[in-house]
Amino acid sequence: MSEKLLIGRTIDTGSWVHSIDPRAKMVAMMLYVVIIILSNTWLEMAYVILFSLIIISLTRIHIKYFIRAAKPLWVLMLFIFIVQCIKVDDKNGAILLSIGSWNLYFEGFKLGLFSVLRMVFLVSFTAILTFTTTPGRLNQGLEGVLKPLKVVRVSPDRFTLMVSIALRFIPSILEEAQIILKAQASRGADLRELPWKEKGKMLVSLLVPVTVGAFRRAEDLVHSMESRGFRLGEPRTKYHRLVWRKRDTIFICFFIVMLVAMVWMSGYGTGELWTL
Amino acid sequence: MKQHDLKEPHYTPDATESTSQSSDVIPGPGYPAIELVGVSYGYGKDLPVIDDISLSIPQGQWVTLVGANGCGKSTLVKLMNALLSKGEGSIMVKGKELQSDTIGDIRKAIGMVFQNPDNQFIGATVEEDIVFGLEGQCLSIEVMEERVNSYAEKLGITELLDKHPSELSGGQKQRVAIASILSMEPEIVIFDEASSMLDERTRNDLLNILSDMHKSGRYTIISITHDAQEIAASERVLVLHEGKLIADRTPTDLFQDEKILEMSHLIAPFAFQLTTALHRYGVDISIPNCEKELTEALWPLHSIK
Repeated sequence: MSEKLLIGRTIDTGSWVHSIDPRAKMVAMMLYVVIIILSNTWLEMAYVILFSLIIISLTRIHIKYFIRAAKPLWVLMLFIFIVQCIKVDDKNGAILLSIGSWNLYFEGFKLGLFSVLRMVFLVSFTAILTFTTTPGRLNQGLEGVLKPLKVVRVSPDRFTLMVSIALRFIPSILEEAQIILKAQASRGADLRELPWKEKGKMLVSLLVPVTVGAFRRAEDLVHSMESRGFRLGEPRTKYHRLVWRKRDTIFICFFIVMLVAMVWMSGYGTGELWTL
Repeated sequence: MKQHDLKEPHYTPDATESTSQSSDVIPGPGYPAIELVGVSYGYGKDLPVIDDISLSIPQGQWVTLVGANGCGKSTLVKLMNALLSKGEGSIMVKGKELQSDTIGDIRKAIGMVFQNPDNQFIGATVEEDIVFGLEGQCLSIEVMEERVNSYAEKLGITELLDKHPSELSGGQKQRVAIASILSMEPEIVIFDEASSMLDERTRNDLLNILSDMHKSGRYTIISITHDAQEIAASERVLVLHEGKLIADRTPTDLFQDEKILEMSHLIAPFAFQLTTALHRYGVDISIPNCEKELTEALWPLHSIK
C-alpha cells in the first residue's frame, strides 16, 4: 500500500526544479491552476500540455510517476466526464450519438474531455511540488506562503507542524491498518472475499483498532517531543532557511508569461473573452 | 554494598535549600544527578502506581531499573522528566527541584529514548529528526550543523541523514533516536526499554553504545530493561515491585538472589546460572561478570584434574 502512495514522496534527481525555492513552486502551482482553468480551446489546451511537458521534463523524473499520481482519481474523472456529457444540451450543436430521446452533443463531449484533461494535468503537474521538494522544505514553503495569515491570528508554524506530523504518520497508520486486515484475514475474516455489505461492517471493526493505535502513537509522539524540550509557542531557530534566488524568480516568470499568454489568447486571440 | 545508596541519600531539608539556591555551581562527579524523596504517584489513593520511592543517583552512574511489567518503571522515569504531572514527594534533577518553572531546564538536562523506534521519530528525515530538539534549544545553524554531523558520525548514521523513517530498520531508527537525544547534549540519558523491540545483534550494538557512553563519563544513564546482559553491564540495579523499590544493589548481588529474580521476572545470565550450579557441586569459583570470565575461571580447573 505504501508503494502505491506517492503523495508526499520525494523523488530526488537533483534537477534544476529540485533546487527551486518551495515558496516559488507553490506560487507557480497556484498560477498553473489559473492557467489550466483559462485554457478553453484546443489550441490553448495544446499549449498548456506542451508547457506542462517541458516543465515535467525539466524535473528529470520519469513521466510514469506523474501518470501514477493521477491514476487514483480515475473514478472521479470518469464521473465528471459522464456528468458533462449528460448535462450539455446544445440544441444547435452537432450530435455525436443518440440513444432514445437523449443526445450526446459534440459540445458536451468536448467539455467532458477538457474537464478530464484539466484534472489529469492539474493532479500530475502539481505532483511536481511533492516530487521535487522534501517534506521539510515543503513545510517551510507552506509556512512562508501562509505568513500573511498571521494578520488574522492564525499561526502558520502550528499549522505546518500539524501538516508535517500528519504527512509523517500517514504511511505508518496505513501500514498498521494493513497489519490489522491481515490479522483479521488470518482468523478467517478475509475482506477480499466478503460481499460489499459485509465489507462495510468489517471496515468499522477495522476503524476501532486503527483509531486506538493512532492515539497510542500520538501519546508516544507527544512524550518524545516534550522530552526533546518542545513547548508550543516557545521560540525556535530554523535549521533550513529559505533563500530567494534569481532562479526562483525565473521559474515564476515562466508561469506568469504563460498566464499572460492564456489571458491574451482567450480574450483577444479568439475574440470571446471568458467564453468557450 | 547492598542498599548503600539508600543509606546515604545526600538529603537533609537544609541540603535541599542550599542546592536550590546555588544552582549555578557546576556539580562534580559523585554529586547526585537525580534525587527522589518520598515520590508517590497514582490514579486515586487506592491505586498507587509509584509508592513512596526515595533514591539518589550520583552523576556518571549507570543504573538499570528492573521489574515485572506494570510495576511502574516507565511511570517513574516519566515523572523524572515531568512527562507525567507531578504526584507527591520531591524530585531534584541536577540540584534543581522539579516545578512548573524548572520543567524547561530539567528537560534540557534529561534525554529520553523510548521503546517504539517508530513512534518517537518526529522529523520526516533522519536529519530533521536530529534537528528537531536542537531547534528548540535555539542554537545557531553552524552549531546545529556541527552537532548533526558529529553525532551522526559517532552513531554511524551519516549515510542515512536524508532517509525517510520507512527506509530504516528498527536498529537504525533506534540509533537515530539516540543521536537525536545525544546531540542535545543532556547530562542524564534515560532508556525506556529501548532495546526491547530490537533483535539480538542490534541489541548488542545498543549495549556497546551504552558502554561507550558510560566510559566517556559525560552521562548519567538510567536504563529500563529486561535484558540480563544489559543489567550485568551496568553498575547498579534498582528493582521495582508493585510501585515500591524493593532492592538496590549491584548486578552480581542481584543475580544471586533468586527471590528477587523471581519477583522481577528476570533470568540470570548463563554465566551466573552455571556458577551458582557449580557452587552447589562444591566447585569454588568466583562470580564472573561475563561468559569470557567464566571460561577463564573454568579451564584451569580442567588442567588440575
